[in-house]
Amino acid sequence: MAKTTEVIEVRDVRKEYRNGAIKTDVLQGISLKVFEGDFLAIMGPSGSGKSTLMHIMGFLDRPTSGSCNFRGKHIDSLSDDELARIRNKKMGFVFQMFNLLARTSVLDNVRLPLFYSGLKGKEELELAKRAIELVGLTDRSHHLPNQLSGGEKQRVAIARAIVNNPEVIFADEPTGNLDSKSGQQIMDVLQKLNNQGHTIVLVTHEKYTAEMAKKMILIKDGKIVYNQKVDHRRFAKDGFEK
Amino acid sequence: MKLTDTFKTAIIGLKTNKTRSALTMLGIVIGIAAVITMNSIGAGAQNLILSRVASMGSNNIFIEPGPWSKRMEKGSMMQSMVEEANITSLKREDAIAIANHPLIEMAAPFTMGVGRIVYLDVDKKSSYSGITPDGQKINENNVILGRDINEDEVKSMAKVVVLGFTLKEDLFGEEDPIGKIIRIQKTNFRVIGVMEEQGVQMFQNMDTYAFIPITTTQKLLLGTDHVKWIIAKAWDEDRIDEIVSDLRLLLRERHSIYNPSGDLAKDDFKIMTQKETADILTSVTGVLTMFLSSVAGIALVVGGIGIMNIMLVSVNERTREIGLRKAVGARKKDILNQFLMEAVTLTFLGGVIGILLGLTFSYLGGVILGNMLDLKWSAPLSLDSILLSAGVAIVIGLVFGIYPARKAAELSPIEALRYE
Repeated sequence: MAKTTEVIEVRDVRKEYRNGAIKTDVLQGISLKVFEGDFLAIMGPSGSGKSTLMHIMGFLDRPTSGSCNFRGKHIDSLSDDELARIRNKKMGFVFQMFNLLARTSVLDNVRLPLFYSGLKGKEELELAKRAIELVGLTDRSHHLPNQLSGGEKQRVAIARAIVNNPEVIFADEPTGNLDSKSGQQIMDVLQKLNNQGHTIVLVTHEKYTAEMAKKMILIKDGKIVYNQKVDHRRFAKDGFEK
Repeated sequence: MKLTDTFKTAIIGLKTNKTRSALTMLGIVIGIAAVITMNSIGAGAQNLILSRVASMGSNNIFIEPGPWSKRMEKGSMMQSMVEEANITSLKREDAIAIANHPLIEMAAPFTMGVGRIVYLDVDKKSSYSGITPDGQKINENNVILGRDINEDEVKSMAKVVVLGFTLKEDLFGEEDPIGKIIRIQKTNFRVIGVMEEQGVQMFQNMDTYAFIPITTTQKLLLGTDHVKWIIAKAWDEDRIDEIVSDLRLLLRERHSIYNPSGDLAKDDFKIMTQKETADILTSVTGVLTMFLSSVAGIALVVGGIGIMNIMLVSVNERTREIGLRKAVGARKKDILNQFLMEAVTLTFLGGVIGILLGLTFSYLGGVILGNMLDLKWSAPLSLDSILLSAGVAIVIGLVFGIYPARKAAELSPIEALRYE
C-alpha cells in the first residue's frame, strides 16, 4: 500500500441507545482507519449499526464511548457548531431518501450547504453550477425535485454533497431507492469522484455495490467481522448486474 | 448564513403553506387592527371632549348647584346631572353677586327646559335656554339675523325669542322669521333674531335651542326661581384659583352655610374651572380607551399564541428538513434564525395589514360616529401608534416564535434525519 495520510480514525467506538429501560448496543467496539483517496464500503444487514457508524464518522452523531478523529480533530473536543462547520467545509452527505428540499429548485438545493459557508453570491453560484454540471444535470437546474426521476434526484443530492469540494463524501445507501440503471449511474459518479481524489465512505447492504469500493468492512451486531481490500473490484461503467 | 438568505428561506417556508400562513396571520391582523382602531376612537373621543372644554374658555368658572360628590371625581357626569335636576340652591341673584367680585368680568346664569314650539302647522318638541346678554357674550354666541336679547328684556320678562340656526330652519325654512309670533308651551313669543350656526357646545347642539330671557323662562315656562348653572368669566386666568376660593366663601355666606373646614361635600354648590373639567373628562376617556385597548390587546395575545402553535406544527413537519440543513452545516443559530425569521415575517406582515385595516376602520368609525352624533370628529392618525403597533407585531413574533425556533435548533441532525 502506498504511503497515504490518515483522514478518519475510529478507535473502539461504542454506541448505545436507551429507550426507557431497554438498552440497545448498536456499536460494540469498532476501530478502523480511512486514508486519503480511499473508497470504503461499510456492509452489513439492516440493524447491524453500519449507518450509525457512518453518522459518527461523519460527525453527525457522537459515540457513547471511544474516539473518532477527523484530520486529527477529536469529536469530543468540538462543540456542535464546530462539528457543523467541519461538516460544511470538509464533508458531503448523500442519503438513501435523497432529502431534497421540496418546492426548491435543483440549483437552490445544490447551493444549500453554501448558504451556511459564508461565500459571496457570485462564487456560490459558480460552485453550484459546476457541481450540477459534474453530475450532468445542467439542463435541469431550474426544475423542482418533484419533476425529476429518482436517479436524477440522487444526482442532485450528490451535487449538493460535492458543491463545497469536500475531502470525504459519505453516502448512506445511495442506490437503495433506485432501479439498477439509475443505481449504476450513481455508482459511476461516485467512482469518478473517487478518481478525482475525493475519499468516499459508502454504506450498503448489497455485496455487488460494496464491490465497487476499494475496501470493504462487514459489520454484524455492532462488530466488524470482515475488513479487507476488494479483490475483484467492479466498475459501474461496465454494467450493473444483479 | 446571510440575513437575506434567511429571509428568502423564511418566505419559501411560508409560501409552502399559503393558507395556513394566511390564517395564522389573521390573528395578528385582527389584533393589531383592533388596537389601532380602539386607540384612534379613544383618542378621537378625547380630542372631541377636550376641544369642547377648551372652547369653554380657560378663564371661565362653572358654578353648579348641589354638593361635590365622590361620583363627580369618578366622572359620572350624567348621573350627577340627573341628581341635580331638582336642586334649587343656585339663584339668579348669586350670579349678580358673583359679577360684583372685582376679579370677575361678568357672570351669567342659565336655565334649561324642553317644550313644544309651534309655528303655523310646524309643531316641534325642542329645548330652550334662559339667558342674559352677558351669557351670550361668555358663550360667544352671535346673531346673524335680527338682534340679540337685551338687558331691558331680561328685566321686563319680555316674551321674545332668538332661534338657534337649525331650529329656525325647522320652523321657518326659507321664510324670514323676524317679527313672527311662535308659541312655546302655549305662550306667544316674538322672534327677534337668529343665532349663527355653531355646532355642539357644552355637549349640546345649541343650534336646536330657542334662547329666551332667563326671567321669562323662570316665570312663564319653568315656574321656578333657581338657575341651572352660572358661568363666571375672570379677568385674569392666572388668578383663577384665588377667585374660586373667594367665590366659595361668597356663596357660603349667601347660602348661610357654616363650613369653616372648607369641606366641599357640605356646600350646596360646586365650582369647577376649565382645567378641572378637562382633567375629569380626560381621566374618563383615558380609562375607556385603556379598557378598549386591553380587550384588543387580548386579541393580539391570542393571535400570538396562534403563531406559536403553527410554528410548532411547522417545526414538527419539517424535522427532516432541519436535519438535512444541520447535516450540511447549519449551526444552531442558523436554524434558530430561520424559524424566528418565519415567525417575525408572519407577524410583521400581519402587523402591516393590521395597521392598514386599523387605519381604515378608524377612519370609517370616525365618519360613522361623526355622522351619528353630528359631531366634527378628528382622530389624528399618529405615526407613534403605527410604529408602536408594528413594533408590537415584531415583538410578538419574537416572543411566540422563540420557543418553536429553539426546539428546532436543538434537534440533533441524526434524530431529525431519521424522523418519519
